[in-house]
Amino acid sequence: MDILSRIPQLLVYGVISGSILSLGGIGVSLTYSILGFSNFAYGDVMALGAYIALGLFTLFVSWSIPNIPLGPLSFGFGFILAAIFAIGLTAVAVVLIDRILFKRLRHYSSVILMMSSIGVALALRNILQFFWGPQPHYYIERIQIATVIPGLGIRIKPDQVFIVLVTIVLVVLVHAFLKYTKMGKAMRATADNNALARVTGINTNRVIVWTWVIGGALAATAGILAGIENKFITPELGWQMLLSIFAAVVLGGIGNPYGAIVGGMVIGIAEEVSTAFIPTGYKPAVAFIIMILMLLVKPTGLLGKRR
Amino acid sequence: MDTLIGIINYVVFFAITAGTYGVLALGLNIQWGYTGLFNIGIAGFYAVGAYAAALVSGPPPSVWDGRICGGFELPFIVGLLAAAIVCGIIAFLIGIPTLRLRSDYLAIATIGIAETIRLVLKNESWLTNGVWGLQQIPSPFYDPIHGGIREFLSNNPDLPGWIHGLFSKAYNWFYLFLVLAILFVLYLIVERLVHSPWGRVLKAIREDEDAVAMSGKNTFSFKLQALVLGAMIMGIGGGLYAYYARFISPASFKPLYGTFLVWVMLILGGSGNNRGAILGSFVVWGIWAGTDFLTGYFPFSATQAASLRVIIIGVLLEVILLWRPQGLLQRERKPSKTL
Amino acid sequence: MSLLTVNAVTSGYGDMEILHGVSIEVGAGEIITVIGPNGAGKSTLMKTIFGLLTPTAGQITFAEEEITGLSPNLVVRRGMGYVPQVENIFPSLTVHENLEMGAFILTDDFSGQLEEIYELFPILKDRRKQRVGKMSGGERQMVAMGRALMLDPKLLMLDEPSAALAPNLAAMIFERIVAINASGVAILIVEQNAKESLKLSDRGYVLASGRNRFEDTGENLLANEDVGQLYLGG
Repeated sequence: MDILSRIPQLLVYGVISGSILSLGGIGVSLTYSILGFSNFAYGDVMALGAYIALGLFTLFVSWSIPNIPLGPLSFGFGFILAAIFAIGLTAVAVVLIDRILFKRLRHYSSVILMMSSIGVALALRNILQFFWGPQPHYYIERIQIATVIPGLGIRIKPDQVFIVLVTIVLVVLVHAFLKYTKMGKAMRATADNNALARVTGINTNRVIVWTWVIGGALAATAGILAGIENKFITPELGWQMLLSIFAAVVLGGIGNPYGAIVGGMVIGIAEEVSTAFIPTGYKPAVAFIIMILMLLVKPTGLLGKRR
Repeated sequence: MDTLIGIINYVVFFAITAGTYGVLALGLNIQWGYTGLFNIGIAGFYAVGAYAAALVSGPPPSVWDGRICGGFELPFIVGLLAAAIVCGIIAFLIGIPTLRLRSDYLAIATIGIAETIRLVLKNESWLTNGVWGLQQIPSPFYDPIHGGIREFLSNNPDLPGWIHGLFSKAYNWFYLFLVLAILFVLYLIVERLVHSPWGRVLKAIREDEDAVAMSGKNTFSFKLQALVLGAMIMGIGGGLYAYYARFISPASFKPLYGTFLVWVMLILGGSGNNRGAILGSFVVWGIWAGTDFLTGYFPFSATQAASLRVIIIGVLLEVILLWRPQGLLQRERKPSKTL
Repeated sequence: MSLLTVNAVTSGYGDMEILHGVSIEVGAGEIITVIGPNGAGKSTLMKTIFGLLTPTAGQITFAEEEITGLSPNLVVRRGMGYVPQVENIFPSLTVHENLEMGAFILTDDFSGQLEEIYELFPILKDRRKQRVGKMSGGERQMVAMGRALMLDPKLLMLDEPSAALAPNLAAMIFERIVAINASGVAILIVEQNAKESLKLSDRGYVLASGRNRFEDTGENLLANEDVGQLYLGG
């Protein structure tokens, strides 16, 4: 009985972590479908975004930029500003990495690109560790009081509502972009059939840049939100989430951004709810097991259709 | 004189570690270099091999241990064999569901498996003693050799100081010889295998699996054999580490770094080339250890130095992929799509 | 004066040479069919003209400018459209979006072009919000051709347009090809279904083993007994 009473709260935690996983999953899905390889550096790009935001915020504080508090949220306007710049800078960094490295390796098989992305992942992580050290850094300034929602017996903090709202807004924006803009359609077309896209005259080079920009921006956002949710960040934060994000993407259908959203939610909720039944030490394995099951039963994923 | 002794001792230690990595690289070469299997779970097999050897050869659980298993105090060779067999079995079990997957999925699956292995090693104290690890793993012939040397030295106290310094660590020379001998034997075995018809099928699978399948061969079975054999060799590598370190815990096996280093070793040396695998291990380990020295001259903290080493290895990998993807020892042919 | 001139082109994949010096010509407004047995190099020829493959020797001239080895997205801008044999549409996009992608490089309004395509293929207009992946083979072929026509090309290259289509659908496609040609577009067709295609062609070429074998008017090739036995399946 005690376990069942904890489920609603765990569901709430699941939705929150699922939102962050979904954002990451959309980026990974887009990269995979358009660029053709699984980007193992994605988690560390998330960490990069989170740390750049932290660094910029510290800088703004030292420049005495006012950090107007924003209602019940644990951070102020100054932090939001830092976050926005961090997202932009991360997107630029990701495009640069592509120009310098991945672009020149594109003629190789996806396995080589994956191996290369692991190298990037480790380098990024250790660059962060070099400058900030391995110890956790506090991400938010105020401890928040959770609001208790009566009846359901669940507690939720304003920050957490913020995370879910940001996710919803971004998902809607990405969807609108893919569906209604010319570049969005070109991205979908390139994901469908890269060769035909070139034959049609679509500028696949520009499509690729846009893919990295969106992917990098989503990664940075997810990293920052993860920092807000976990209250502190370490350089390992991205790698720890990467397996869950890959599991979400496989579950939803690799290459399908909408599937990534579904997958992210399922994995997030599953991970949290599982802690009621199995030792929390095994939480990371939950995502992995779900992924393996999916690969055995329906490798194309819940919403997948290609290949 | 003392610095010379220090250098010699360091070189021995260096060579033992590089040799152990060489064994791992040979195993990976069978899986990736010849068959094209993208195994990112090397650290998992390495750890399992080490633990298997330790449990087989170590002392029985003491009253302080959380574990209730193992400690059969069996000899070195048995331990290595156990390591190989356990890894082989695990590879077999892993291979069955995952080898039919495409390489991206296989890669992610192997990471997940390595992670799961790490969690099991950490959490299942009844088997592995959890975070406290396994101690007192007996190095082979340690007592006779080390004891004998000590006796010799204490019976001859008026020998010059540098002889004391040189011989007090002489056991390690024996161990180095053991490691190099095992590495050499494994090298011969693997060379024999890959130049056989079996090996040729593996190479064909790597280049174009569909073509091989259409010619009637059961590619799944071949891939499974390659995975298992490679894993067994990696297990032996893990055992070699355990017997040398004499103490292992889950923290000894930093999952991704170990795996990544072996990959860089193989790519730098030349995938699909056994001598390249071994050469790559020594070169990359040399760079790793060398940067350790160099960073000592700069005012970096310990963690900063460690980070810098990884960054250098990461950059090294990208540089190789961009400028000499076939590695050092591969023939100067145009690299294929799969390297 | 001819729209497209392919002169002694050798081309292939990697080390494998498929075309050993092939020459063809397409005049403005003509319908030309290239036939030949499997492996003769017909598809390779089209891919080489369009820039998907780079020839190792020979020249290709289009609208009096040399385009040998020019990349596809530049060839498209010169006024050449290409419909590959397979995977020639974007399955997860709608009919409308597929056509829109055809006009990707245009910066101004293309609705005029769109209307013309819908006139040519009225059924597409009804289905324009439908995902192409879910449509039948014949409808997909229409979308593929419509997509290539969005840029109002002077030459349209079709690789086996009637492949995998039932005879009545194939006939419909050929009839549409004639209609497209009537508006002034030259058409180069590679076909297995040689008879139907030669019937509506001004001229034709027969390729075998990567070389020219025959060249004549469509009618003459149909009547030619050697050609008939070897390449038209009797």
